[in-house]
Amino acid sequence: MSASITHDTHLAVDHGAGNHENHGHGKPGIMHYLWNTDHKMIAMQFLTSACFFLLFGGAMALAMRWQLAFPGHSIPVIGHLLPHGIVNDEGAIIPSGYNVLVTMHGTILVFWVVMPLLIGVFGNFLIPLKIGAGDMAFPALNELSYWLFAVSGVIVLSAFWVPGGAPGTGWTAYAPLSSVAAYNQTPIGQSLWCIAIFVNGLSSLTGAVNYITTVITMRAPGMTMFRMPLPVWAIFLTAILLILAIPVLSAAAAMIVFDLNFGTTFFRPSGYGQPLLWQHLFWFFGHPEVYILILPAMGLTSEILAVFSRKPVFGYKAMVWAMIAIGLLGFIVWGHHMYVSGMNLTLSAAFSVSTMVIAVPSAIKTFNWMGTIWRGSIHYTVPMAFAVAFVSMFVIGGLSGIFMASTPVDLFVHHTYFIVAHFHYVLFGGSMFAAFAAVYFWFPKMSGRMFNNTLGWIHFWMTFVFFNLTFFPMHNLGLGGMMRRIADPTVYDCLKQLQPLNVVCTIGAMGLGLATIPFVINMIWSMRSGPKAPANPWNSTTLEWTVSHPIPHGNFTVTPTVYHGPYEYSIPGLVKDYLPQNEKAPSHVTLEAH
Amino acid sequence: MIMTIIRAALNNRSVSRLLTGGIFLFSILMASGAFAEQRSGNVYGLPPCVTTTGLQIDSIIKIIFWLTGAVFILTQGTYIYYLIAYRRRPGVPAHYSHGNNTLEIIWTTAPTIVFLALAIYSNRVWEQIHRPAPDNALTIDVSSYQFGWQFRYPGVSGKLAPMDVRKITPENPFGTDAENPKTSQDVITTDFVIPVGRPVHVLLHARDVIHSFYIPEFRLYQDCVPGRTIGWVWFQAIQTGDFQLACNQLCGTGHYNMKAPIKVVSEEEFQKWLTPRQQKNAGTVVPAAAAVSSPTKAVSLTAPSSTNTL
Repeated sequence: MSASITHDTHLAVDHGAGNHENHGHGKPGIMHYLWNTDHKMIAMQFLTSACFFLLFGGAMALAMRWQLAFPGHSIPVIGHLLPHGIVNDEGAIIPSGYNVLVTMHGTILVFWVVMPLLIGVFGNFLIPLKIGAGDMAFPALNELSYWLFAVSGVIVLSAFWVPGGAPGTGWTAYAPLSSVAAYNQTPIGQSLWCIAIFVNGLSSLTGAVNYITTVITMRAPGMTMFRMPLPVWAIFLTAILLILAIPVLSAAAAMIVFDLNFGTTFFRPSGYGQPLLWQHLFWFFGHPEVYILILPAMGLTSEILAVFSRKPVFGYKAMVWAMIAIGLLGFIVWGHHMYVSGMNLTLSAAFSVSTMVIAVPSAIKTFNWMGTIWRGSIHYTVPMAFAVAFVSMFVIGGLSGIFMASTPVDLFVHHTYFIVAHFHYVLFGGSMFAAFAAVYFWFPKMSGRMFNNTLGWIHFWMTFVFFNLTFFPMHNLGLGGMMRRIADPTVYDCLKQLQPLNVVCTIGAMGLGLATIPFVINMIWSMRSGPKAPANPWNSTTLEWTVSHPIPHGNFTVTPTVYHGPYEYSIPGLVKDYLPQNEKAPSHVTLEAH
Repeated sequence: MIMTIIRAALNNRSVSRLLTGGIFLFSILMASGAFAEQRSGNVYGLPPCVTTTGLQIDSIIKIIFWLTGAVFILTQGTYIYYLIAYRRRPGVPAHYSHGNNTLEIIWTTAPTIVFLALAIYSNRVWEQIHRPAPDNALTIDVSSYQFGWQFRYPGVSGKLAPMDVRKITPENPFGTDAENPKTSQDVITTDFVIPVGRPVHVLLHARDVIHSFYIPEFRLYQDCVPGRTIGWVWFQAIQTGDFQLACNQLCGTGHYNMKAPIKVVSEEEFQKWLTPRQQKNAGTVVPAAAAVSSPTKAVSLTAPSSTNTL
């Protein structure tokens, strides 16, 4: 290990210095923001794009919630402005338009918001800075990854303006609905959807090879694997999952394009195809994807909890091994999406066992988070509030998952609002809360300025309250039998009585929409005119806080040397309550093994 | 020990205020589910359960509900207590600890045992639910299409005419054999009428895309896959009533409204409903193709224009 580190450090320094010379800092024209191989700028590109898509995808969710609470009523004010594939002349959502909203909301939030936010932004920004490297291993490939992402975003949005409009087959695009033009009536939109997913996959893959190479070869001297901060571990493992899972989805998406346009019948039974083949391919990607979306969130949260509890992460190695276990087990649980798909029943039973087992590493992580705050000295800041809420929401999402992991219960709650509640608790209460926590936490490092605390707290409380108001009643809707993806629940007699709950959810969703306003104002305003941030505002130990803003291209003027693990807080006998990774512990202090 | 913690917490005013708030919040959250098993006809409860397998499923839901409810209260309660008790206070430094391996082993082993036990128990029920249908079961062919349902009941012979999924076409939506005399005897309906107390075995088919056979009161969801016969679903109703069959797999524009009426009736009423229909088909010797096409003509295979308005 040590031999390779020496060698790689040489590379890192060389590389950082080389780029520093070549890059013109004096002329930040428009090209500076469009084509820039600096990993920090690429992170900002991902952040800006992901926020745009977040607002767009969130607005679609609000339109859906309006329709579910007040089916067939015109959307107030903006109803008439929406395109005709979505609404009718009165500005009310039509069923096919609702299907489009369901599809595009899910697709955009997963592929164009949560993935770029957690992996694109924080993978890019944090990996080199946290491991003491000058940049990514392949800086140009890194910028290519962003541009592939941007192009894929343009392609997916263009589906709204082609003949037939955007697809309405769900983000899961089950064949043969998605693969036969006569059934979906949106062959062009569906093909564009597939191409967008394909190009987005290329972006993920180029990003992932970069992260893996960087983590393996460019760590600073002394930065052993088990001294890496947990966000780096999390994103490193996520990158491995991406490389194994994404190609399967890309291949499957290509098969749909062939079925739609070139006469193949991969998924069409009349041509000896198999509809379930799509589901196996999709969920073989889709389940690791779930962990792709939550592992980085877990890593980021672990660090933020430790910093503001002023305590080392409880069970650092257990945290790492739990993430490795999640990564491995994540590949043998995809069948739990298919208990009732017509798949072999014994196979369903087998998948339910692996699904129950994968809950164990998640439980371990939860207990360790609680261990981290236990006997801490908790300092409540906006990022800490989001991190604390993450754990709580993740527990709720995890526990509701147990219901569906049980095969007989899934026979009832499959595809009801119970599952909608479950995955929003994990994806919004989990991933998005962690993303918000991380945006606030690293904002001083990214922008060199502090965010506005009052606006931050307003954003937190509104998000927390309205999130629960939106999604908790959905458990009841699901247990009451309400199907997901139906444009009008009132056509079913047994669902009419649930309508008040749908109104509650919609009120919550509106509040959640309003909650983003203080966030956006805070980010834009503080980026330009917030108070100047010190280099290490949170008294944190990891390497990114050792460099001051503006961080030069190449990051470290002198490659740092790492002496100990990442989270050395509140060491007895030390005056300050933190010991940065590049500072040697004084001789009178002994560090506990971690 | 727990009492000490509580007493210590109650001595602190802000802590006790927050604890009260927390307990209040828990009560609200738990109350929404605590009555889940008894309530029907309001926004909180499960719908009434009208099949034997549904009762088994409800009992597992109850077990998991109390299990996860207990874990929820314990973890969130401890968590909130920590968040309050260990907030930053001047002069009280954080405890320096990197973890505890004994604890790691305990909280790895305990959930593993619980989760595996739950998986084993669940799968035993899963197997019971899916044991082969009894011999006295009434077999009904369920055919789904964009965007509706058709049901094929046995004719006077008491047996369904054989079908082959590969023969399903717009002209022959059930994939039956026109040469077979039983084909013309089959009773084809758009209502799903079943007798109470007798096992009903459904053969699930889809003519175009994947649909799903979902009845919340039966606690039953099963996809209908084109090109396949899903033949393992059977159930036995325990009370009469009117329900609705829903498609619960996004299947296109008219998906939200793809439903069919379900009537669970007494055996006597069921015979009163089925027998005249059987006799009608048996009495008139109509060509098989015509017999099949008459009910299908009523429903077009493309989306009815009415589905575009709500």
